[in-house]
Amino acid sequence: MRSPAFRSPWWYTGFGIVITLILLLPLYWVLMGSFMTQRELFSPHFSLWPREFVFQNWANALSRLWPHFTTSAIVSICTSAATLLITAPAAYALVWLKVRGRGALFSFMLTSQMLPAIVFVIPLFVVFSRIDLVNTLPGLILGDMTFTIPFALVMLGAYLREFPYQLVEAAQVDGAGQWRAFFSIVLPVTKTGMITVAIFSFLMPWGDLIFALSLITEAGLQPLTLELYKAMGVYGIDWSFLLPGSLLTALPAGLFVVLASRFIVAGFTRGALH
Amino acid sequence: MKQLEATPERVANVLRGGRPVVPRRKVKWRTGLTPYSFILPIVVFTLLLLVYPVFYSLALSFRDATVDTFVSGDMPFIGAGNYQQTLSSNTFWQALVNTVIFTFSSILFQFTIGFLLALFFQNRFPLKNVLIALLLIPWIAPVLTAANTFKGLFNEVGPVNQIAHWFGIPPVPWLALPGYALVATIVANIWIGFPFNFILLYSGICGIPPEIYEAARIDGATYWRRVGHITLPMLKPVTVAVLMLGTIYTVKVFDLVWIMTGGGPANSSHLLSTYAYQVGFSILNFGQAAAIATVIVVLILSLNLFQFLLQRK
Repeated sequence: MRSPAFRSPWWYTGFGIVITLILLLPLYWVLMGSFMTQRELFSPHFSLWPREFVFQNWANALSRLWPHFTTSAIVSICTSAATLLITAPAAYALVWLKVRGRGALFSFMLTSQMLPAIVFVIPLFVVFSRIDLVNTLPGLILGDMTFTIPFALVMLGAYLREFPYQLVEAAQVDGAGQWRAFFSIVLPVTKTGMITVAIFSFLMPWGDLIFALSLITEAGLQPLTLELYKAMGVYGIDWSFLLPGSLLTALPAGLFVVLASRFIVAGFTRGALH
Repeated sequence: MKQLEATPERVANVLRGGRPVVPRRKVKWRTGLTPYSFILPIVVFTLLLLVYPVFYSLALSFRDATVDTFVSGDMPFIGAGNYQQTLSSNTFWQALVNTVIFTFSSILFQFTIGFLLALFFQNRFPLKNVLIALLLIPWIAPVLTAANTFKGLFNEVGPVNQIAHWFGIPPVPWLALPGYALVATIVANIWIGFPFNFILLYSGICGIPPEIYEAARIDGATYWRRVGHITLPMLKPVTVAVLMLGTIYTVKVFDLVWIMTGGGPANSSHLLSTYAYQVGFSILNFGQAAAIATVIVVLILSLNLFQFLLQRK
């Protein structure tokens, strides 16, 4: 488009790298800071490189966060699995089969996707404390599902609209029932969409703070985000724990960006635009 | 990547209300009761965990649900008391104004940065996709990571002040000064949100047929003229969608502000969401928190209605 002969594509790459580095500078600071002593981190002089790498920060953060890592993993995996289990058949049926109230359900999901979590947190806390779901992981998973389910349904709906329904018709001729056709044809064909939704439905509860903060008080059940939030205690902030801890929390997201950027980019555009 | 394209038709469909496009063929075996077995779980979930809470919250907003009545369980009906209390609170109005400032400035900068990036990435060059993936990190990473990062950057002895010191600017305790604290959270939110604007605008730009640019170039249009006369008009549907979604996502922000400032100092940086949370879970007045939540719902629904009317014109 605008590539005068004197500008080689590598010129653009160079410029692109510079922009990216500038925009990601805050992350660079966290990464370097996570190896510094608190004294060096907030010394009067700005340092771009630790005088000495304090790996102990990471070791401490890792051992303190490990149990919470497990909790977060359980919650996120369960939320993601339950979300997919509920929304995948529903999205398919809503787009391709004749069900009454289709429009109403889609509109309701779009609307609830727009509501802030606080709208659900307050009533769920009150109701959950009556039926003993506060301070339980199932309670937290149900809470997290109030934002993954609308998101997943809207996003899968967008994916499934492009599903070639003739495939199901063909299977139908061969005598397959709707459910059979769903498992043996719809799911394999829409794999990309399913994986994308699974990733997002994993990352959203992984980063959740508000539901964990409201529904979980017991120390043994606290996910990562909550343990890190607590690191900002009344006695000031323990930065040598908070910085490596924050990066550890971002680890799954970082991994997904590296390994599955294709899915993430696709999910980004789709889930949001439709 | 085919799925990335936001073609004008697709976007137009979304903007018409985003309903799924279902062929109107009447085929017998698509009907009947089997389809309902597909949606039964989501209907049950929606009724129990989405519809019921919203109405429960509405009911709660008319009751005296504080720590005492909550434990005894009677929670008497008090009419519009919670709403009166909310509307007469200075913090509520401050939070409302903050939410507007926060949303408007976040969107303005996120969109500008996102648009300029999208223009740049319109060019083809090596390593482009790697850089795009890297630029998504601020948005994909948990908000907590970004919040802690910027809490550190804006620390009284943190990098922002350290760098300002080079230019002889005296240090500012950003997060401890009313006004400044809100600015710090806005900067952090711009950083979190620019990738979202960028990637949507980028996919929109990718959907513009290159022939149009080619034709304009042959006619001698300069680069910025092409941006102004081709890119911007062709991107209008995507732009509207991005701004709308951006507004909704920004009004939803909670974690970022709660972690960075907790609404302080002196309640000066509250958003409506953090204020509602504080009233509910710090002051333990669930009735009033539900009232604030209801106000937020009404605001978002009217925003939606406004957009709907705007698009019908």
